[in-house]
Amino acid sequence: MIKEYIKIAIKSLRRRPVRSWLTMIGVVIGIFLIISLLSLSGGVKTAIMQQLRMMGKDLIMIMPGELTDIVTTFIGGLELTDDDIEAIKKAKGVDVVVPMTYKGEAMRHKGEKKTVLLCGVPIEDGLDILRTDMGLELKEGRWPIPGKREIFAGYLVPEDIFPGMKVGAEVTVRGKQFKIVGVLKSIGNKSDDSQVYVDLDIFREITGERTGAKMAIAKAKPDYLVEEVVENIKENLEETRKRRKGEDLPSYTVLSSDKITGIVGSIMNLMQIAIFGFASIAVVVGGIGIMNTMYTSVHERIREIGIMKAVGAKSKTIVLIFLIESGFFGLVGGIGGIVLGLGLAKIVEIYCQTQHLFLLKASITPQLILFGLAFSFIIGCLSGFFPAKKASKLKPVDALRYE
Amino acid sequence: MPKQPLIKLKDAWKIYQLGEVELAVLRGISLEIAPGGFVTIMGPSGSGKSTLLNIIGCLDIPTKGKVFLNGKDISELSQDELAEIRGQKIGFVFQQFNLLPNLNSLENVMLPMVFQGRPENERREKAKALLTILDLEKRISHRPAELSGGEQQRIAIARAMSNDPEIILADEPTGNLDSATGKMIMEILIDLHKKEKKTIVVVTHDPYIANYSKEIINLKDGQIIADHKRAGKVLWKK
Ligand SMILES: Nc1ncnc2c1ncn2[C@@H]1O[C@H](COP(=O)(O)OP(=O)(O)OP(=O)(O)O)[C@@H](O)[C@H]1O
Ligand SMILES: [Mg+2]
Repeated sequence: MIKEYIKIAIKSLRRRPVRSWLTMIGVVIGIFLIISLLSLSGGVKTAIMQQLRMMGKDLIMIMPGELTDIVTTFIGGLELTDDDIEAIKKAKGVDVVVPMTYKGEAMRHKGEKKTVLLCGVPIEDGLDILRTDMGLELKEGRWPIPGKREIFAGYLVPEDIFPGMKVGAEVTVRGKQFKIVGVLKSIGNKSDDSQVYVDLDIFREITGERTGAKMAIAKAKPDYLVEEVVENIKENLEETRKRRKGEDLPSYTVLSSDKITGIVGSIMNLMQIAIFGFASIAVVVGGIGIMNTMYTSVHERIREIGIMKAVGAKSKTIVLIFLIESGFFGLVGGIGGIVLGLGLAKIVEIYCQTQHLFLLKASITPQLILFGLAFSFIIGCLSGFFPAKKASKLKPVDALRYE
Repeated sequence: MPKQPLIKLKDAWKIYQLGEVELAVLRGISLEIAPGGFVTIMGPSGSGKSTLLNIIGCLDIPTKGKVFLNGKDISELSQDELAEIRGQKIGFVFQQFNLLPNLNSLENVMLPMVFQGRPENERREKAKALLTILDLEKRISHRPAELSGGEQQRIAIARAMSNDPEIILADEPTGNLDSATGKMIMEILIDLHKKEKKTIVVVTHDPYIANYSKEIINLKDGQIIADHKRAGKVLWKK
């Protein structure tokens, strides 16, 4: 019989097409928001997590400043001193320490001048870590020889910054000649892919920043627990700090790659929950639209309800017919929202990829689609529930007398 | 032993509470309708004819008093139980036709069978057969708005017949029709009485039907002032 009730419900929706469409648009917008945002944030999450997972498990990041104000750390120019680097090196279980530093520098190539982020990394000690643990890979060329004025560039440098730049090209930084010896494969986000790398010694030589580093990466020795090494590094840093008494000393953040992955993962989850929460409000507003339409519809069809009851319809039948109508609003609105939402996510994905902004892949899973359908249908049914109850409670005589 | 009445009302009252005032629309009605009877209810406007017919048709229950259908007291039943009885045993024909505007003729006739859960092909066949008998086979897929009053009322009669009810109740079925069409509708009802042996109760002012009817209940101010069958003469002619 449900098939017949669906027919009856749809026929009455078709009688007022404009109102039906408007009602559904409310749901479409809500579900559209939820689906596109969830799909995109899911994609961002996977992309970031993938990048993080490329890091070796035995890596430890050491940054100056508290984790909670990491932004001020990067802007405010806090640095690790040479003492700090020494302290890290001496910590029990530390295999290698790679101090890293960077600075915006003007670079010239064939008469063009662009500002690039120049990174100083110790090629001698650090190249292994960069390659095996940080996932840097050459697209073409070779790695630089330590101590020489050789540069390797991120994937986007010959694509975007100096279009047409070839391996072997000559560039000038601060009046000094350098040679591009290698170009990296894409790391997956625009800022990382636009950097150029040079040996730390050379970096210090040309920038005049003779000491310190913006951050350091330490590798734990294989027979040590990474978290133990993290503790050892912290202890050593504290002690160096105590020795330099009297100064207003910065604190440090020492994190294993697992910890970082965990922290970033939970931030991402929180972000998704927040997105879902806000977008849900839009769906609920859509649901209120359905409720409004259903109340109007019940009111307009009092007489019809009376007729159906007079010829033998029970209360639950009337409830069912109205619930089918509101569920239909929800479901069809949901389908529309899903299609548009996934469409937008896909467009953003394509845009990000063609612009090399971020290696983003919109996450389009069956679960997300099913969730969208179920959510919109349930909202539809819930919104229709009270109007349907109201309809079913009408007494046939009163309903038939109604003009 | 006399045949058990199909419908029996015992001191039935219908009282509406209008704010402080009580309005007694039916005041102690007692009557019996035998199976196979043809009863006409007459009376001035506002005398309670429709109210009485609705109670006879289990569409409403009395405020006080009892209603028996086939000897079973229905005055205490729930709305859903009454709906069940209406669906199975009673067919309604209204003055305003009361077809569902979204459904075509066939679907309107099938509707009561849908509510009884009868299978699709059975519904379709029965509805087509009824529409054919009433000479409406060419109007099967028309919507009510595309039909004349007489056609709509015939669809309504087909709908009333769809679940093979024991009783057909008609509330001024010719009230919205011209006299020729009205006569045709009345003849259909008379036919149903004669050939199908249906029990029929009609509210009407139509002398033609009143002449045919052997039982006339005359209402005034919610009371039966004369029962033609008992009095033995046609009381409505003044
Ligand atoms: N739900 C209600 N609430 C209050 N009064 C009502 C209600 N239903 C009916 N009445 C009153 O009951 C009286 C009888 O109504 P009813 O419809 O039975 O009259 P009727 O004899 O069928 O009249 P008509 O010939 O005009 O159809 C009327 O005065 C009407 O106003
Ligand atoms: Mg009336």
